[in-house]
Amino acid sequence: MVGKKSASKVLFAVLLVLLLALAACNKTEDAKPADSGDKKEEGKKEEAKDDGLYSIEDFSNVKTNEGEAIEGGAFTFGLVSDTAFEGTLNWNFYSGDPDSQVLEWFDEGLLTWDSSFVYTNDGAATYESSEDGRTFTFTIRDNVNWHDGKPVTAEDWLFAHEVIGHADYDGPRAGDVLNIVGMDEFQAGTSDTISGIEVVSDKVLKITYKEATPSLITGGIWTYPLAKHIFGDMPVKDISSSPEVRQKPIGFGPFKVDTIVPGESVTFTKNEDYWRGAPKLDTVTLKVINPNVVVQSLKKGDVDTVSDFPVAQFPDNADMSNVEFLGAVDRAYSYVGFKLGSWDKEKKVVKPNPDAKMADVNLRKAMWHAVDNDTVGKKFYHGLRWAATTLIPPSHPEYHDETNPGTPYDPEKAKQLLEDAGFKDVDGDGIREDKEGKPLVINYAAMSGDDIAEPLAQYYIQAWEAVGLKVQLLDGRLQEFNTFYEGVGQKGNDNPDIDVYAAAWGVGIDVDPSGLYANNVLYNFSRWENEENDRLLAEGISEEAFDVEKRKEIYNEWQQLMSEEVPVFPTLYRAALVPVNNRVLNYAIGDGTGIYRSDIEVTADKPFADK
Amino acid sequence: MWKFTVRRIGIMIPQIALLSILIFIMAKMMPGDALSGLIDPSIDPATIEAMRDRLGLNNPWHIQYVDWIKGVIQGDFGQSFRFKMPVTELISQRLINTFWLSLATLILTYLIAIPLGITSGRYNDTWADRLITGYTYVGFAAPLFIFALIMVWIFGFHFGWFPTSGSVKPGLSPGTFEYVLSKINHLMLPALSMALIATVTTVQYLRSEIIDTKQKDFVVTARAKGASESRVYNRHILRNSLLPIAAFFGYEITGLIGGTIFIENIFGYPGMGQLFLESITLRDFSVVTTVVLIFGIASILGALISDIILSLVDPRIRIK
Repeated sequence: MVGKKSASKVLFAVLLVLLLALAACNKTEDAKPADSGDKKEEGKKEEAKDDGLYSIEDFSNVKTNEGEAIEGGAFTFGLVSDTAFEGTLNWNFYSGDPDSQVLEWFDEGLLTWDSSFVYTNDGAATYESSEDGRTFTFTIRDNVNWHDGKPVTAEDWLFAHEVIGHADYDGPRAGDVLNIVGMDEFQAGTSDTISGIEVVSDKVLKITYKEATPSLITGGIWTYPLAKHIFGDMPVKDISSSPEVRQKPIGFGPFKVDTIVPGESVTFTKNEDYWRGAPKLDTVTLKVINPNVVVQSLKKGDVDTVSDFPVAQFPDNADMSNVEFLGAVDRAYSYVGFKLGSWDKEKKVVKPNPDAKMADVNLRKAMWHAVDNDTVGKKFYHGLRWAATTLIPPSHPEYHDETNPGTPYDPEKAKQLLEDAGFKDVDGDGIREDKEGKPLVINYAAMSGDDIAEPLAQYYIQAWEAVGLKVQLLDGRLQEFNTFYEGVGQKGNDNPDIDVYAAAWGVGIDVDPSGLYANNVLYNFSRWENEENDRLLAEGISEEAFDVEKRKEIYNEWQQLMSEEVPVFPTLYRAALVPVNNRVLNYAIGDGTGIYRSDIEVTADKPFADK
Repeated sequence: MWKFTVRRIGIMIPQIALLSILIFIMAKMMPGDALSGLIDPSIDPATIEAMRDRLGLNNPWHIQYVDWIKGVIQGDFGQSFRFKMPVTELISQRLINTFWLSLATLILTYLIAIPLGITSGRYNDTWADRLITGYTYVGFAAPLFIFALIMVWIFGFHFGWFPTSGSVKPGLSPGTFEYVLSKINHLMLPALSMALIATVTTVQYLRSEIIDTKQKDFVVTARAKGASESRVYNRHILRNSLLPIAAFFGYEITGLIGGTIFIENIFGYPGMGQLFLESITLRDFSVVTTVVLIFGIASILGALISDIILSLVDPRIRIK
């Protein structure tokens, strides 16, 4: 008996040993595909010599439809994030992108926009503006209902404004409603109502804005109603943490939230009563997937599509057989900025310093000429990022000035500019001194992040050295996100050691750049001021700019001014790629495609797997 | 025994108080705050500044600390800036996940360690022993996060035996049998990955203890009295060799905390480890301080448990 027991123990131990041996075998097995992966990459590199580069023009932002759709079906969406989504599931309160990815499925704004980001009359509400462009009358369609069957009313829309303007409101959108007549009084508490908003009838709302600007119709209107029959009696400070926001959120979009596993997954079922008509899909599952496993999840068919695909991994996976890659120009640009002053915290304006190290415009221009962004895009990003020319990215095709060449790579010109401006190499060590002949050392702040961050920073430093400028990394290393923006001046306490910095901006749907470059905005990190700039920025949102042609002209002039003054210079534009499983029909990324989430269909029960 | 426990708990309290101050100061020394990530031209900086004021982020650290500790004593750990929900609620959601993950890991660790350790110690210098020690060396050398990635690749993607992320299949309602099964299925792979690495120390301990004990006089005596070989091993040697393992149990908990930080991030498993890391990068101070405090308390408690177990199994070290 006893002997048997120990024998079984030994057997168990042996089994475990075998298990481990198996695991060990698998380890070597694992090494193989990694090897072949490397080989593939090498093969690609060889191809790349003739034409291994990709271009955004080769991608469509609309999925090609192949095959017959099946009835209903279940769709899986991968939310790529290394953090859990916050779960503030209401447009009026959310603050992070992961939450907005969840929100998109079950709620929407009352207005939609076209490909040039102008509000259309195809959405859940239509609008008309008055002669002077200040008063808008919105009519919500009759068949637009909340998921619980109650109609979406003008009252709900007004309620959203009241909550956002409330003193206890804890979301980040308070700035979005300031342009409404009577909002100041409402916020100050001297008035119980917002005089500029009038509920005309159940479905009709009239809003009067303080200033008429073309920005109003490109994202300047708050279009997300808040269900008053649910949140009406709740104290404003409790709404964002209430179960009606976090556990059983409500909207009027194509799908209804079924279950939520906090931070991890959400399941949706179709909303039969959706105002565009019942969605084709039966259910949608959204789950968070770690960026480390995106490629594997797609290959295996775990997900139909993902929110975001790491562009750096595209060349190795371009031949994935079960997906089609959609591409669009990202509403963003990378840039290099020059510190030209500091922030005056009291007056809330920039305080330019005429003696700043980077104050000479020729020095700045030379630094732009010295870097070869075209090659950076090709070498580091396989052509999926490319040299930027102006500060309005091509994601806004109407306003991006294609004819403006920017400042192309020209190291000889850079040297000439520096020479003429008086930055000469006095002591013959190959490094230029400043105008007085004193050593010139420029501190460069760059952010840590992906694998490319370090080599990219080193490249820029080398490129500047090649024209005789000594540039060194601030503190000898890359800066972590928070440290970086703290130093650059996110709170107005600029780090005086920073002379040059590299960062990126996402661009809103409205083209108006005053949020980044006006002299009274904190985000004007270069702390640069210019009368011409002030004039153009003001004109860009003035009444005469309602004329698109005129507005284009103004912004073309502004793009040219920025090229001449170079407080910052754009480095790269970028492509956003999204892989979509071949079984999916009617899927699109980008704006104004006219394809909505209720249109998505599938041709098979399960996503296809990679062969 | 009770005296000893009470005394240890008495020491724990100032330890935790000191820990809380240290954590708080260090958290505040990190550049940026919970609102730094909101840098977005479409959000008015004035709005952000107003939010900062409301959250008290502009107060000096000692005032913030007093505010925080006052709440903590009343069981209120404050509000998460990012999740906009009470930290207590947030952590209780995550703590359950980590608890099950840790429990599964512990069970697996001992399930692997004890038979392997016994085999290796009893039959030392045989092929089986060499294989097992070989594995322990590999285990010592392999970094957990690389090993876990390999496990995901092999068992998650290549064979498809286990799910690769999350803690439960989406769409199941809590409480059902299916839900529980799915939970177990989801934590098997992370727990196994962690256990396979964590177990190697225990295997080695057990092995050397058994080899050590084998040569003790009382074992010779037991044999001389005619006890069967399995009786000698199971009753005399094993019991004595398990002593240090039992004592090690509390520290194992501390080790698990470190492990879950890696494992939960790789497996997208929403537990305390993942919460800890993302709260640091996003500067969600109230969460960071609370999580570290809980980790700290867990470590201190782990040490306490170890001491108590030790004094239970080994009367020689009991404090009078």
